[in-house]
Amino acid sequence: MNLGPVGRVLREWFEERLGLGAVMDFLSHKTVSQNRHTIWTYTGSIILLFFALQVVTGIILTFYYQPTLEEANASVGRIMTQVPLGWILRSVHSWSATFMIAFVFIHLLSIWIIKSYRRPRELTWMSGALLLALTLFFGFTGYLLPWDDLSLAATKVGTDIPRSIPVVGAWVTRFLRGGEDVSADTLTRFFSFHVCILPLLLLAFLAAHVFLIQKHGMSLPVGADEEREAGQALPFWPNFVLREMTVWLVLFGALMTLAVLFPPSLGKSADLMAPAPEGIKPEWYFLFLFQTLKIFPAKILFVNGDTVAVLLILFAGVLFFFLPLIDNRPAERKGKMITVAAFALLAYAVAMSVWSLMG
Amino acid sequence: MNGLLGGWLAALAGSFLYPVIKLLFPPTPEPDQVVLPLADYGSVDPGSVKMFSWGSKPGLLKKADDGEMTAFVGVCTHLDCNVTYLPDQKKFFCACHDGWYDENGVNIAGPPPKPLRRLIVAIEGESLIIKKEGTA
Repeated sequence: MNLGPVGRVLREWFEERLGLGAVMDFLSHKTVSQNRHTIWTYTGSIILLFFALQVVTGIILTFYYQPTLEEANASVGRIMTQVPLGWILRSVHSWSATFMIAFVFIHLLSIWIIKSYRRPRELTWMSGALLLALTLFFGFTGYLLPWDDLSLAATKVGTDIPRSIPVVGAWVTRFLRGGEDVSADTLTRFFSFHVCILPLLLLAFLAAHVFLIQKHGMSLPVGADEEREAGQALPFWPNFVLREMTVWLVLFGALMTLAVLFPPSLGKSADLMAPAPEGIKPEWYFLFLFQTLKIFPAKILFVNGDTVAVLLILFAGVLFFFLPLIDNRPAERKGKMITVAAFALLAYAVAMSVWSLMG
Repeated sequence: MNGLLGGWLAALAGSFLYPVIKLLFPPTPEPDQVVLPLADYGSVDPGSVKMFSWGSKPGLLKKADDGEMTAFVGVCTHLDCNVTYLPDQKKFFCACHDGWYDENGVNIAGPPPKPLRRLIVAIEGESLIIKKEGTA
């Protein structure tokens, strides 16, 4: 690149202080393998695209949103009706959350099925599992903020679920709610989680996740011929990045179309004393857990049914976190069973969600 | 010596952490009793229910057909949703997960594991006093 004498001096001045040449050098040598699984490598950067949109639209929404009992619902109403372009900002924030979570699920299932978490990428998977938990908690806390009767009922149920965990459960519920009951303190607490604590945690784990991906490079499928794969690898910069940007553009178009045509609704302001409205449903990504809790009987052999359900779900979460360590013989029968488990989980989640929507 | 130092450090850490924990897990004491004006609440129609505030929870005052008054904490024992009374069916209903209680607050269908919590109702002069059970 010809920068002229001034540009050259400036570049050298910054290079001497920042040493960014090493980063550019790394990027120019980074490659992405080209095989029938390459399509799944796009899902990571797609999640980043939607996360970036969440940050930008979320920050602008906080300029107008007021997390108090009196003003929460009304301020969202003003964002939808009076703030210039406010309705589209909220709609993009809501739809982008859905897109982000959908691609998080696709990302983790594809990695599970291709087994990209094999040694030495176990920590990349575990940091990703924590990012999944943070993402879901983002969704859960954000759902309360418009403070309508549906979001209040969903939050009452959601924050009461940990109570059935023995010993620590009641403390978890009280910590989440800021007291025994959902109240004004729950709203401010959720706001603080949503705009301050979760973003900081998510950025920290995201940095670790992306660092590990750069450190280990892209994983190859089980039994791939390394030399052949290296021969047909694509340079990351600019070839792969340009392809990613094309995908971003298409998805951004889809997101804007849905956001314009189907903005999220806003119910009337929640009343802490009112009976729960009929037909409460959590966001789509919690439906399968919601339905799982619903089908458990009140008592299973003298034990509270919810306690059994919650402990089973927690146990599944622990298995999920340690999956790369459990799947230690990926090419053998055990490895194949674990791949089948991914499809079984997907089928279970889809079936339960559909059942919940029908019932 | 190490034990002494460690114990001292643990005590110091505890003294710092205790207020932090207090702050994160605020206590929200329930009211021992609420006093309602008899004029407003005594005149509830037999067979119907009137709501009052039991701290930050809804309380439900129910007058039976024979005029006897009972009170419940109007919160489902399953997952904490507020319940409603359906006078024509003489049942309490929780819409969140389809939970049902009979007119005495006993869980009869759906996921609720326990009856609704009962409160004690007493009339003193012009007031209706509603108390926690066990604080008669």
